Amino acid sequence: LPDDPLSTTFAALADPTRRAILARLSKGEASVNDLAAPFKMSLPAVSKHLKVLERAGLITRGREAQWRPCKLKPEPMKQATDWLEEYRKYWEESFDRLEAYLEELQKEDEK
Amino acid sequence: MSDKTNETHELVLTRLMNAPRAKVYECWTNEEHIVKWFAPKPWTTPFAKLDVRPGGTQQFTMRSPEGVDYPNSGVYLEVIPNEKLVWTDAYTSAWVPSAKPFFTAILTFADEGGKTRYTATARHWRVEDLEAHVKMGFHEGWGQCATQLEELAATL
Repeated sequence: LPDDPLSTTFAALADPTRRAILARLSKGEASVNDLAAPFKMSLPAVSKHLKVLERAGLITRGREAQWRPCKLKPEPMKQATDWLEEYRKYWEESFDRLEAYLEELQKEDEK
Repeated sequence: MSDKTNETHELVLTRLMNAPRAKVYECWTNEEHIVKWFAPKPWTTPFAKLDVRPGGTQQFTMRSPEGVDYPNSGVYLEVIPNEKLVWTDAYTSAWVPSAKPFFTAILTFADEGGKTRYTATARHWRVEDLEAHVKMGFHEGWGQCATQLEELAATL
């Protein structure tokens, strides 16, 4: 996995199963069994996804051997969305420029 | 203005533009127009060559405030006049693969209450690419990477 936290977050998010797991956890803690239930996937496969999420700091897991509830940790997600927001802002500025230019063109047409 | 991120590798922006559809389309397809709005100041676009047809090449040169030129090129995949433009940086000309395909831009123009609904979608090959480009653009300032970001901004 890449070293910097943001890359790790994005890599962890780049998978539909992991995003579905995060969506489930946003409603509250859950066990591996609970999390595996909606997927046609073995428990070890789900555990693998959980490990990726855990390493990215997106979830934490309880330490009790039997019942190791997974819990969402929103901080890295927040950083990732903040970042995308910045990127989007850059795009929006391009919309602004086009809009301003169109306005200029229309004014010229009216003359 | 509203926007959303459907998937982590796709970015969609849409805006109702107070101009006729043909005019918004022209801003994207006419060389004289595109150079006027394309670059964020103090950058400029001293050169644009737009061969607007499927398989045609779209070339831009972006000039930094220091006067350094950064040429970019892509290829149009779909062209429906006044309606839709699709282009990608996966080819530098038809059909020469670019060093690193990054994204496909889908621009649509539609009538809406006397205005134009303008929507730009950028689909990236991999979310890691998107992330890497964003990061380079924003955290290392303008430079070689900024031109790639410019290409992205060009999807708008």
